[in-house]
Amino acid sequence: MPNIIVCYKWVMDDQDIKVNPSTLELTTAGAKYKISEYDKNALEIGVQLKEAHGGSLQVLSFGGANLKNSLKDILSRGADAAFWLADAAADNADAVATAKVLAAAVKKMDPADLILCGDGSADLYSQQVAQRLAVLLDLPVIDNVESLRYENGAWIASRQLRDCVETVSVAGPAVISVLPGIAKARIPGMKQILAAGKKPQNALSLADLGMTADDVQSATKTLSVKGASQQRKNVVIKETSAEASVAALMAALKADGVL
Amino acid sequence: MDFQLTEEHELIRNMVKEFVEEHIKPIAAEIDANHRFPSESIAPMAELGLFGFTLPEQYGGNESDSLSYVIASEEIAKVSASHVMILGAQCTLTTPILLKWAHPDIVADLVPSMISGEKLGAFALTEPGAGCDAAAQQTTAVRDGDNYIINGSKIFITNAEQSEVFIVFAMTDKSKGVKGISAFVVERSKTEGFRVGPPEHKMGMHGSHTSEVFLKNCVVPAKNLLGQEGEGFKIAMATLDAGRIGVASMAVGIAQGAMDEALAYIKERVQFGKPIASNQGIQWRVADLATKLEAARLMTYRAAAMKDSGQRFTRESAMAKLYATEVAMEVTTQCVQLMGGLGYTKAFSVERLMCEAKITEIFEGTNEIQRIVIAKHVLG
Ligand SMILES: Cc1cc2nc3c(=O)[nH]c(=O)nc-3n(C[C@H](O)[C@H](O)[C@H](O)COP(=O)(O)OP(=O)(O)OC[C@H]3O[C@@H](n4cnc5c(N)ncnc54)[C@H](O)[C@@H]3O)c2cc1C
Repeated sequence: MPNIIVCYKWVMDDQDIKVNPSTLELTTAGAKYKISEYDKNALEIGVQLKEAHGGSLQVLSFGGANLKNSLKDILSRGADAAFWLADAAADNADAVATAKVLAAAVKKMDPADLILCGDGSADLYSQQVAQRLAVLLDLPVIDNVESLRYENGAWIASRQLRDCVETVSVAGPAVISVLPGIAKARIPGMKQILAAGKKPQNALSLADLGMTADDVQSATKTLSVKGASQQRKNVVIKETSAEASVAALMAALKADGVL
Repeated sequence: MDFQLTEEHELIRNMVKEFVEEHIKPIAAEIDANHRFPSESIAPMAELGLFGFTLPEQYGGNESDSLSYVIASEEIAKVSASHVMILGAQCTLTTPILLKWAHPDIVADLVPSMISGEKLGAFALTEPGAGCDAAAQQTTAVRDGDNYIINGSKIFITNAEQSEVFIVFAMTDKSKGVKGISAFVVERSKTEGFRVGPPEHKMGMHGSHTSEVFLKNCVVPAKNLLGQEGEGFKIAMATLDAGRIGVASMAVGIAQGAMDEALAYIKERVQFGKPIASNQGIQWRVADLATKLEAARLMTYRAAAMKDSGQRFTRESAMAKLYATEVAMEVTTQCVQLMGGLGYTKAFSVERLMCEAKITEIFEGTNEIQRIVIAKHVLG
């Protein structure tokens, strides 16, 4: 019976993030937080594997000061217990720093047969945490996984690649990052919600992991964060014939370097 | 004084929102247009525990508080009040009556199947001659050995068409007036002479059917008497006290659903070169509506919180019902106005929400009756 750990991130709800149209600065004041969508799919496949094969299902997160607010939500979605590390160091953590903390935390937890991650987080979406975590834990990693089974102690995963599906298997513990289509997250019902508060919530600190904030340095440096904007050129081509219009369009696209 | 909802309440709200988005929004306009009862919604509603609010775990309930019900009802009503009719009939008007007043065998038999959604319930109080004056019951129940024989008819019974479990009020002793009314549970499939008429043609709420119910020499086991003989009116009034919080929450949801739609519209709709919402005349109206809606919500939540803390809440639930339903009528009417011609069409929801709002002022005690109840408490 496999022991499964699902990693999740508590992110700002993108619907609450406003972009100032003139400066492109983001306004995040008052934004609510939620479980990163893809991590819900990772948790759901974890729940389904547990339902099919037994074992345990724990969730793990590294986040900022408000991470505690995620616990009942994540525990209502089928996990047995939560491990969580809230530290201001998470606020600017990139995949390097996050993987380092998660790896140290995983070592504190029951030995896992499978560590599941979502394909990427809803905010940074660097798609690197699973891979970096695997390296730090010296485990095999499988990413882009669209379906996952457990047979005779082995994980059999289908990877969605650009032009083909590759099916691989790995015996023994592995880190697997899954695509959102792997399993539709179910809606937790009243009983799951009301039972969530009674499940174990294990708080960790960097000190518990033998780390300090200095150990959680990001490899990348954020210079600025701006909203994306698309500007329309509003060029209207009004030649007298279709041929002439096409020629004018081609010329304009060439002049712009598009063609 | 703490006006904060708990984390669980927020999670319940999110859960119901997700459910509404996935299961109800896609059919809300269609069931209304086709006058179709959404039977496909029953199983998923039951699975999420939406028929188990406040009810014991022993029977499959979730032992939540009433505020949780209010939040769920509000969220569903934003999109489809017809669905709240199912929720209300089940969670406020029938299952709790059984739990409190029915014989233990009947509780064990029926309550689990109502929480699981396998059986639906209907509350049959109103008669052609007994509307606001609910005590003027003409339906009779006569004791006959181990049975009662019930004769009479009921009118405007929500979800009668789909229901198996009916709470029926009838006179057991006319000479005692109000104290001569008794309540029974009647299981339709087990009762000969029990017939449900065709649905009424209504102004709105078309996803929920409202029908007449006829009882002709219906033989009902004496065990099916709820409480004692003569306790029927008391049971009805106590049930409606709680039901009114449910109607208030439905009204708050309907109003909020209309506001959400109209606000989005007036921010986008440009006339005279600027969005309609940039006119101060419109802004003041929006401010008034939002303020009234907030007051209605707070009154509703407070009545639920009072019920949960075991206090008497007759006055507060009547006030919440009266105020919230009048606010819902005003807000939906104004939202149609704010959206102009489109608001009057079925291209948007406000027209449907306005028709749904109207009934909240009428059932479970008309607002005139609420005023009578409130005045009694105020004047002492
Ligand atoms: C869609 C729908 C669903 C319903 N569902 C149910 C259900 O599930 N179960 C059930 O039992 N009933 C149900 N009803 C019935 C509903 O509760 C009654 O319609 C309501 O109680 C009013 O009764 P009435 O229609 O006979 O109006 P009437 O009693 O005839 O009243 C007509 C008008 O006179 C006013 N009035 C009456 N008496 C007074 C007074 N003393 N002072 C001042 N004004 C007064 C009323 O407020 C109202 O405005 C439903 C009705 C509808 C339309």
